[in-house]
Amino acid sequence: MSSGLASDEVAEDYKNSLEDLTTNDRFQISNLTVIAKENTEHAMAISRVLENHIRTTPPAQKLPALYVVDSIVKNVGTPYTLFLGRNMYQTFMNAYTLVDSQTRRKLDEMLKTWKEPVPGSLDTRPVFPPEITRSIESALIKARTAALQQQQARSQQEILTRGRNGTPPGWSNTPTPPQNLARHPPASSQTVPAPYQRNGAGHAYPPSGDTHAARAAPTAQIHQRSEIDLSGLNRDIESLIAAARSDFATNPLDPAVQQRLKALLDLQGILQRQELTQEQLRLVRDQVSALAPKPVIPVPQAQNIPAVSMPPVAATPPAQTHSQPLQQLLNPGMLAGLIKATAARQQPTPPPQLAGILPQIPILNSTPQPAVPATKENPLIAALRAQGLLPPASAPPTASTIPPPNIASAFPLIVPGQVRYTPPVPTPQAQGNAEGQMDVQMNTMSMKIPRYTLVTTLYEMRTNRCGTCGRRFFATEEGKEKKARHLDWHFRTNQRMSDAAKRAQNRSWYVDERDWIKSREAGDDQNPADTEASGDTADGHDGNVAKKGPSKPWIRAPNDATLRNTPCPICQEKFESTWSEDVQDWIWQDATNVGSRVYHASCYAEVTKEGPTPANRGVPLARTGTPDSVLGKRKAEVTNSPSSNVRIKTEPI
Amino acid sequence: MSLPGLDLTQPSGEKEFVPAPPTQITVGKGSEWRFEVAFGTVVRVKLLTGTAELFGTELAPSQTYTFTGTKAAIYTWHGCMLEVSAGESYATPDSLAPGGGNGSSNSHETPTTGGRGLGAGGCQSEYTAEETPMVEYANVHFALETLRRQAKAQGRDGPRVLLLGSEDAGKTSLAKILTAYATKVGRQPVVVNLDPTEGMLSVPGTLTATAFRTMIDVEEGWGSSPMSGPSAVPVKVPLVYFYPMASPLEAEGSVYKAIVSRLAVSVMGRMAEDEDVRETGIIVDTPGILSQSKAGNVDVIKHIVTEFAITTILVLGSERLYSAMMKEFDNKPTASASAVASDERISVIKLSKSGGCVDRDAAFRKAVRESQIRTYFFGDQIPSAASGALPLLAASSKNVTLSPHAQQLDLNALSIYNYTIATPEEDEDEYDPASFGTESFLPGGGNEADSSQNQQKQEDSSATSVLPGFGGAPSSATAETGSGANVPLKKMLPPAPTGLANSLLAITHAPTTASVADVRDASIMGFLYVADVNNERGKIQVLAPVGGRVPPRALVWGKKWPGEVVGLVG
Repeated sequence: MSSGLASDEVAEDYKNSLEDLTTNDRFQISNLTVIAKENTEHAMAISRVLENHIRTTPPAQKLPALYVVDSIVKNVGTPYTLFLGRNMYQTFMNAYTLVDSQTRRKLDEMLKTWKEPVPGSLDTRPVFPPEITRSIESALIKARTAALQQQQARSQQEILTRGRNGTPPGWSNTPTPPQNLARHPPASSQTVPAPYQRNGAGHAYPPSGDTHAARAAPTAQIHQRSEIDLSGLNRDIESLIAAARSDFATNPLDPAVQQRLKALLDLQGILQRQELTQEQLRLVRDQVSALAPKPVIPVPQAQNIPAVSMPPVAATPPAQTHSQPLQQLLNPGMLAGLIKATAARQQPTPPPQLAGILPQIPILNSTPQPAVPATKENPLIAALRAQGLLPPASAPPTASTIPPPNIASAFPLIVPGQVRYTPPVPTPQAQGNAEGQMDVQMNTMSMKIPRYTLVTTLYEMRTNRCGTCGRRFFATEEGKEKKARHLDWHFRTNQRMSDAAKRAQNRSWYVDERDWIKSREAGDDQNPADTEASGDTADGHDGNVAKKGPSKPWIRAPNDATLRNTPCPICQEKFESTWSEDVQDWIWQDATNVGSRVYHASCYAEVTKEGPTPANRGVPLARTGTPDSVLGKRKAEVTNSPSSNVRIKTEPI
Repeated sequence: MSLPGLDLTQPSGEKEFVPAPPTQITVGKGSEWRFEVAFGTVVRVKLLTGTAELFGTELAPSQTYTFTGTKAAIYTWHGCMLEVSAGESYATPDSLAPGGGNGSSNSHETPTTGGRGLGAGGCQSEYTAEETPMVEYANVHFALETLRRQAKAQGRDGPRVLLLGSEDAGKTSLAKILTAYATKVGRQPVVVNLDPTEGMLSVPGTLTATAFRTMIDVEEGWGSSPMSGPSAVPVKVPLVYFYPMASPLEAEGSVYKAIVSRLAVSVMGRMAEDEDVRETGIIVDTPGILSQSKAGNVDVIKHIVTEFAITTILVLGSERLYSAMMKEFDNKPTASASAVASDERISVIKLSKSGGCVDRDAAFRKAVRESQIRTYFFGDQIPSAASGALPLLAASSKNVTLSPHAQQLDLNALSIYNYTIATPEEDEDEYDPASFGTESFLPGGGNEADSSQNQQKQEDSSATSVLPGFGGAPSSATAETGSGANVPLKKMLPPAPTGLANSLLAITHAPTTASVADVRDASIMGFLYVADVNNERGKIQVLAPVGGRVPPRALVWGKKWPGEVVGLVG
């Protein structure tokens, strides 16, 4: 009735699922593909969501999102190719300009496959119409040429800069360009030979996907942790920045305002770049909130902020560092508008400072800035450090003493670069401190004392939130694994619910005491195999079923009439339903599920006995002289359509 | 924006629902948005920004949550923005008292319109409150975490918490908060509901124990007990006992105490086997009536404290009760076996009652009870347009419709028990006068069953009862269960009293031949709803949750509680 509403819902759900996709996870990507495939009637909404997501997601997460697009257009095709093709140029170029060179190579590889037919498909047409890919390619070629031309000038300048040991103010904002430019041409030349065909049919991910995922994972993790851990703090700082910026706008020549803004940006930079412990964060937050009520009187701390404290800022928003090379890289006339749009929409990386810094640059340039790495610091930061909140003096100097070009050179290797700046305090220990050593006495007085730090153990400590149910996970590897399994659980449950909606359901009996004592709640973050093992209808929650059931193999009788009348493919006899007192349901004795078919367990055992190879166990009838490929294909057909059971019957010798 | 009186301009009736534009509500740090939604009205809430939690369970961002027949609060530690919009009203059957009139200004509500209120999204009442006792409640959680760590270090069991407080003091809400926080940090508490007036994962009249490992359902009380199909929130498996009376003090609390003992033994059994549960401990929710000054109350509380070896007593709001509990329990050794060795002592804590606690009047409580019973048989009722169209993706609107099975049962083949606690009118009700005359036509089978039952009783009274499904576990209530004579439970013989119609029968796990004490103490496997009684043919028409033959087990009649539920069928 209301397809518009439904479409919105699909889009919303799809958006949420996309937001959980932070790494190149094949499983998630294929899940998203399946969802797209099953909702082709909402293709337009989904395509729109995809485009928006790619536009707004942080650069580190653009690649997985584009892989979703790739997977969808290759596995589903129309209408997605139509809808996605429409804006593919913008989508692709937006992403391309913002990601690092590693990712660009991946994008190049992906683009290459779009010019070819879908591997394994009979259709000889390329994935996307040639017009689309051609326009992207020509833009890229132009950009590369421009980049090559500028490269030499740039690299010379870079040498000059480095020799000067100081930070030219204009450069401090753009540490990346030299490096990126220097790197880029070789990167693109390496691109070409990557053999996409190795992927085999159906799997549309570059062969190096695994290594990339390994590399991308920590990056995303770090990004995410620092983003969300600090989200509250960042928000506060952002609002301070916003206030400072409006001051700045009204009074652009006042050095106090200007420097205050910069100091805040510095702090933000430090927060985002560094892994401060929870304890430090909390105190920083206190400082910030102390600062908040009187944002208009920043004068005292404004005097001695050196330009040197800029590097952290520059390192902060990856989007910004990339948008700079972009300007030089691509033909500005052609793409300037695009960039602006991108920059403005670059949501996940804190947006305000991006907008703020860009207009700031010329002013900084015009202001006479000493190019000396002064040891004086922003009083705010100094105060924080004095309290031991920030890593001792050496840490921010790390930022200031390393000249920006160095940061730049480290940048393409995002991971090592980030890791190097991590303070020596390992995070897990910090968590242990906050969680484990804050003892709360159980008495009436003690209950009245607010302990907001401990609330963080409930929220900020577990930054990795499930978009569907709000459950939180640690941002550790283990937490991510749990979340992945949890998401799988959502996916499977949703699928099962849509299946279940077609047949009648009923309340189960409550378990008895013994079963309850033995029962363990079926987890939503456990290995799918554990829960899946209990079968389709059992769902693991009457957990006792396996124990109570007859010792011979049995299954619950299917509710579906056609299934119920489908005979055993081996003996062609129908199954008999019997009421099981223990299971409290109709069951088929001596029956077993193999794939999507139900066999008599004894028939099946007899047939498989002859075929000793364990590889053939799933395919009882596979031992024929027919070549494997044909068999494989036919078997796949049979599993897909349960009604074609005659075919399998004729096959054995 | 909801305009006051907007819906008054519409003729009330089917067309009353005007989808008012969604309202955005900003809730500041440490504040909560309290809302009341009448039965028959649907309100949808979406978290736009920030974090928010409903009784400790965090809301997912941008998911739509649907509420009906609820009085609840959404709290935020960090500040949040909510979007509240009205869902379509749905017609409630006449039996479900619509609106559940909370006494607020809903004079215009009528049985058919379902009492759409004037607040945002059609809430009967909604406002943002800055003063909440959440800091205290969170501290309780943190203190419990401390105790859990200490207990683990010293090899003891996790803390056992008892919640006390008068009705509508927020006991169950606090239980939910503590449970939600515990599961959030990866714990697995056992939550015990000893309040027969309100079911937890079951119908009213039940005492239950459930281990919570995963999230509590945001939209619907504590969530859902297992069904044959999947469920969007992981189902919780309750252990259920039937106590078909509203007050624990009936028969001097003898029946209640016996069941509590039995429940405690099961929970301790779980603790012994389940490491996660052992480390986390127990949270016990109690009926408000226990916290009133009534004769026998302290006795029952003492019994609970002993049986569950309570370590921490939380008293909500009541100064008087707090001082009584301090006198009685504070700093006394707990009842756990290792208490002496490890010097485990009970602490009594006073907590503030939330200003958001509202009195739920009798009509609202009745509507909640009936909705719980309805949900048991028929699943969720909230109509959701979206979920039907898109089951695959509509994870947030998870209404599962259940199909109970109607069938006829032969009265003579059943063994139905009824509590015969002496109240003045009791004897009159025992057999329905209308069908009294037919008693002489009793088929012999009934008498036979009765005599064998008596034999069984005698056998059992000599030995310590070995309970079905619970191989010889020591019952701490042996003194009471030992003799069937003290159990005010009697087998009911045909003809069935007409009062049987429209009431619930609990199917116990006890065999039909079990002693009355066993029947009383047995956990139950589910409920039958008696739709019709036909004494002439000796048949009753029942609704069973599960298809197939009704298991041949002893049945207990929920005659007084949850009592008559009209209009569940047809």
